[in-house]
Amino acid sequence: MKRRDILKIGAAAAGLSLPAIIRAQSKEVVILGLWDQTGAFADVGPLNDRGMRMALEERGMKILGQPIKYVTRDGATQAGTSTRRAEEAIDGEGARFMIGPWSSGVALAVSEVAKRKKVLHFFSGGTEDISGSRCHRYSFQWAASPYTAAKTVVDNFMKANPKAKRWHLLVADYAFGWSVEKYIKEVGKAHGLEFVGADRHPLGEREFSNYVQKAAANKPDVVAMINFGGDAVAGAREIFNFGLTPKVPLILSWSSGVEELIQLAPEIRENMWVGTNFYYTADTPVAKEFVKNYRAKFGTPPGYAPSAAYSMTRLMLAGFDKAKSTDTQAVIKALEGIEVNDLLGKMRVDPATHQTLRPYFFLRCKTKSQMKEELDLATVIATGDTPLPKEYAACKDIGSF
Amino acid sequence: MLYALMGLGLSLITGVLNIPNFAHGALFAVGAYFLVSVVGLLGNFWLGLLVAPLGVALLGLLIEWAGVRRLYAAGHDYQLLFTFGLALILNELIIVIWGPVGLSHLPPALLRGGVDLGFTFYPKYRLFVMVMAGLLVVATWLFLEKTRYGAIMRAGIENKEMVSLLGIDIHRLFTVAFALGAYLAGIAGALTAPIRGLSPGMGVDMLGIAFVVVALGGLGNLLGAIAAGLLIGIAQAVVAAYWTEASTVVIFAVMALVLLVRPQGMFGIR
Repeated sequence: MKRRDILKIGAAAAGLSLPAIIRAQSKEVVILGLWDQTGAFADVGPLNDRGMRMALEERGMKILGQPIKYVTRDGATQAGTSTRRAEEAIDGEGARFMIGPWSSGVALAVSEVAKRKKVLHFFSGGTEDISGSRCHRYSFQWAASPYTAAKTVVDNFMKANPKAKRWHLLVADYAFGWSVEKYIKEVGKAHGLEFVGADRHPLGEREFSNYVQKAAANKPDVVAMINFGGDAVAGAREIFNFGLTPKVPLILSWSSGVEELIQLAPEIRENMWVGTNFYYTADTPVAKEFVKNYRAKFGTPPGYAPSAAYSMTRLMLAGFDKAKSTDTQAVIKALEGIEVNDLLGKMRVDPATHQTLRPYFFLRCKTKSQMKEELDLATVIATGDTPLPKEYAACKDIGSF
Repeated sequence: MLYALMGLGLSLITGVLNIPNFAHGALFAVGAYFLVSVVGLLGNFWLGLLVAPLGVALLGLLIEWAGVRRLYAAGHDYQLLFTFGLALILNELIIVIWGPVGLSHLPPALLRGGVDLGFTFYPKYRLFVMVMAGLLVVATWLFLEKTRYGAIMRAGIENKEMVSLLGIDIHRLFTVAFALGAYLAGIAGALTAPIRGLSPGMGVDMLGIAFVVVALGGLGNLLGAIAAGLLIGIAQAVVAAYWTEASTVVIFAVMALVLLVRPQGMFGIR
């Protein structure tokens, strides 16, 4: 083949790809769901997708009279893959709004893409940096601040177990684990807690026997885990196998709720206390309707993952409604300070940090005899919404567009 | 011990058949899921432990007969693609049949809780798994060393052409070796289920370790696989006790170290 031929083919290819870009820029609003189908959170991505799809379908896949095009990409629970595929969807599909991914470490990288490409980015939570030290105008955080979570968990657990002062922590070794650990220790001071051990484990750990052996040797009053998904399930199982629970209470401080709990047998759940961003018995009209529809469709009640995606999508669409525009920056401005009565009850987006101020849930697991049915897993014993005190706030200036 | 079991099965397949079995992790996962289903059906853990790995062996038989057999003449690329694709298919099938959400399986009531060993506290079920895996490894080793068929299998690893020239049905030998390897993966999976629980991706974690064990022990060296499995398990436990963050890395650090000193593996000849 001659050089000239190659050039011709190249020109033809460029011509072919042009209509795609033009089409994407027409009237439809392209929203990207960046959900992991592979990697450490492969089991979570499909659930995220369910929630987001339900929120969009409620609106008939339309917003302000314009059709919504929902595209998804598999972020593979890896920063490199996630940022590359997000950029591809932004450039190739014309996505101007993006929700996800699930892992806080990966989301920090994706948030940079959002900033650079000027795309609205909604992220569930875990790290405090997205609404903290690395805040900017394009990213929003849905989940409670790690401070709110730590305060809700520690305060309410100590109210029920005032004597349990020796704590052993098991912490997932990435952004999310560090944030929550910091605040649990901070809030613990007020209760005079002694942290007899704090071991960190890598994301995706499945062999907890060594960690649990160490924890048992410390003879703690409480074991508190700050990890998520498969890690939390594997850890809880091992803590039970070693005979710590139910004698020693176990706290899952940042749990997915239903998804994690149903993976554990009722015997393992005994004396387990759970902090979570959502539990399906939440007493709000939106939650009741959502839980009913979700159960009808998928058989199980929704946990944290589908609910977060559902609620983030709803909140973002509420931003469209308030802005009466599908322009990215107009929607961002509308979301800043928006107040809704939605899935979790009263929710407000702090304009200064882009942190959603909302309740965090604290549950106590039911024993086998207390359960009325297979999915009657726990009782909500408290909710808390203490926002991050000003002195900890790391987002000094959210900046401009 | 579990690592030794996985490594042994994979080493058998790699050694006799000379193919990289990327589906070994998936067979491990299938073993665990079979256990849960059989126990759910029959209500007896011991029966499940007996039946589930046999089911995986049967699956191995089928895979060899329907797929792998056709690829012996093809290059490693094709075998790799086939077994890798198979791993993905099995993984997705698990999701289709048992769902994407993981499951828990409790040990039988007899083996719940722990025992105080004086210096440390250890779950009974783990002790049982250790003994069980040890017995299986010894049984497999005896089969390979002391029986006629085992000798043929070892001969197959050394020199396939010679074995078939001596009038032995090499195809049947391959099928049996693959099924035996699958059986070992299946029983390792079944034994693991109450410890680690079940999730569709469980095989992927194990596959990497199994390959490390095989490479460490020397390709196709069965005794080496046993020793390497033990070494890695011990290294991981010791490191985790003093420096928990490094417990996953240590597996690969040990491998790199050994391979630097002995590129053919601890007991390897090639």
